[in-house]
Amino acid sequence: MHDATTDAGAREAQGSQPVAVSVLDVSMVYDGVHAVRDASFDLPRGRFLTILGPSGSGKTTLLRLIAGFQKPTKGDILINGTSVNAVPPHKRSIGMVFQRLALFPHMTAAENVAFPLKMRRTDARKIPERVDRYLDLVKLGGFGQRRIHELSGGQQQRVAIARALVFEPDLLLLDEPLAALDRKLREEMQLEFRRIQRELGVTTINVTHDQREALVVSDEIIVMDHGVIQQKAEPSRTYRSPRNAFVASFIGVTNFIAGDARSLAGDTVVVGVGESEWTGVIGDKACPLNVGAPVRGAIRAEQIRIARDGRALEGAGSRHAGIVSDAIFEGERVVYEVRLPDLGDTLMRVFDHGPHDTIAVGDEVYLGWNPDDVLVFDDEAGHP
Amino acid sequence: MQSARTAYPVTWRIMDALEAFAATVWPANWTRAVPYLMLAPAVLLVGLLVLGLIQIGDTSLRTLDTSTFLLSEEYTLANYQRAFTEPLFAAVAARSLLGALIVTAITLVFAFPYAYVMVRTSSPALRKFLLIALFLPFFIGQVVRAYGWLIILGNQGMVNEALGLVGVEPMRLLYNYPAVLFGLVQYMLPFAVLMVAPALTAIPEELEAAAGSLGADWLRTFFHVVLPLARPGLTGAGLVVVTLSLTDFAMPAILGGGSQDFIANAIYDQFFRTSDQGLGATLALMLVAVGSLLVGLIFTLFGAGTLAMGRARE
Repeated sequence: MHDATTDAGAREAQGSQPVAVSVLDVSMVYDGVHAVRDASFDLPRGRFLTILGPSGSGKTTLLRLIAGFQKPTKGDILINGTSVNAVPPHKRSIGMVFQRLALFPHMTAAENVAFPLKMRRTDARKIPERVDRYLDLVKLGGFGQRRIHELSGGQQQRVAIARALVFEPDLLLLDEPLAALDRKLREEMQLEFRRIQRELGVTTINVTHDQREALVVSDEIIVMDHGVIQQKAEPSRTYRSPRNAFVASFIGVTNFIAGDARSLAGDTVVVGVGESEWTGVIGDKACPLNVGAPVRGAIRAEQIRIARDGRALEGAGSRHAGIVSDAIFEGERVVYEVRLPDLGDTLMRVFDHGPHDTIAVGDEVYLGWNPDDVLVFDDEAGHP
Repeated sequence: MQSARTAYPVTWRIMDALEAFAATVWPANWTRAVPYLMLAPAVLLVGLLVLGLIQIGDTSLRTLDTSTFLLSEEYTLANYQRAFTEPLFAAVAARSLLGALIVTAITLVFAFPYAYVMVRTSSPALRKFLLIALFLPFFIGQVVRAYGWLIILGNQGMVNEALGLVGVEPMRLLYNYPAVLFGLVQYMLPFAVLMVAPALTAIPEELEAAAGSLGADWLRTFFHVVLPLARPGLTGAGLVVVTLSLTDFAMPAILGGGSQDFIANAIYDQFFRTSDQGLGATLALMLVAVGSLLVGLIFTLFGAGTLAMGRARE
């Protein structure tokens, strides 16, 4: 119940902060297609929000609407309580780090960072000191005189961050700036973003398709798909209580079991697959299930235990026999793919962190899990 | 073995035979010479030009004997002295140089927005229209276009007739300096746009969006971001336009009506009217020298722009 207390604490903290950004019923239509449909959310000041979704989910469009590069077809965007629909980008107080960084190649790192200050007519005597302070903040002290092409990928990232923050904007927008980096550098920069954001307390909206990044850096995550906001919640809640099958499938390694709802008792659902049955709990309590409706159960790979001997899984509420169809060695763990004949040949992915060489492809094994971990969703709602 | 080979299509077997033949005629270890061999025609052409230039240099050192209309046997610098001292040639040179510079400046100012809209527009129809409008004049030769302007700008031309409708007396629009410059700008515009457009394409649109989000309105974005990054394209376009204008013949001849000669017209007169090949050759060499100096000056001031070739530094 540790996360429940932190969630409550976070909610308390956000309650005391005024709203920095309000998106009210915003839609964006291109050639009759909704890139964003009826999006609404509030973001309190100082929070780090990540908009997570696959490509084409509308997340970048939503960010560009907030930045002011495009005007919404419908709806209103408020920054610090004022509608900015009629305000051009250069008059909004927004720092943005672009996907391909968009650093000015004909300027040095320091000139890039000084650019927004000059454009905003900051007192020229104060500019060098401010530029130095922000280059120090991103750990680039002494690199100011370098040309952009003389800097490494990670250093260019840092210049882009310093340039977006140096004029102390109300809002920082990150448009997938880490997507092009290799994994190690990306993970390092994720932690840097989080450190800098906490140090300055600047309200931040980050766009990414990287679920790990969303979980690591954010105070809140919005999951988008097909232009629609699927869920907005703290990272731990997004992970543990996905609101629909799409969110469940997009974050984490999730297994799905299909079937028809046979009976309901409180939150518990009994689902039939052919001759056999499995049990789960209702995933979205706001969306009641009907007996007889097609449903899907979602369970995380790490919530399933695997054993050669069924007796080792005595405590598990659900137990099923299966055949190992693949074993993928990933270093710190082995991922088994197990086919369950009595659940309609469902393929389940299971992690094994223990000694790895005991189970082979073709072996007969048992899988066990707690029925409370299987979240049952209406098959019609959400689309993975 | 035989049947397996005949299973391939006959065209393949013909190509195999040709390849085998080529391999015997041109052994594989000679292939390194191929690129140089392909360069040969171009080198030959440029070489002929250089030979011609030497010939012209030789001619420029001989004077015309007006009694026999033959060139003198002995070498003299008399032609160069005439070219430098006679006020007519100084006036022609000044007119050409000034004209080339004015035409270049005006053309670049007009070409930039044209290229910018063509590159940045989100409407494919507009882009296509601008491209066609750009290429159409290429299909009509320079001389035909100049005659077109004669018809439009003449005393009974469309422009004067239109002015007559609103009660303006017909005015002389042709055979003056502005008419020549106008014709040259109109002729150079497509070249300049085609040279500037690739430089603008190379500027990521994101940079302009970034400048906007950092507080720059469009004017400052233009001066601080777009213009500095488009400089190679402008330099390249400027070089092409300035050399083509400086050496132009048709526009001054047709729209200037003999009163607005550029250097090329003066050279033509010497060769084909007074038949003074010596003086004509001298003027030709001086045109080459002035053009080279001008290009050299632009190179030192602005760099070679898109004409720098080679691998880009960034």
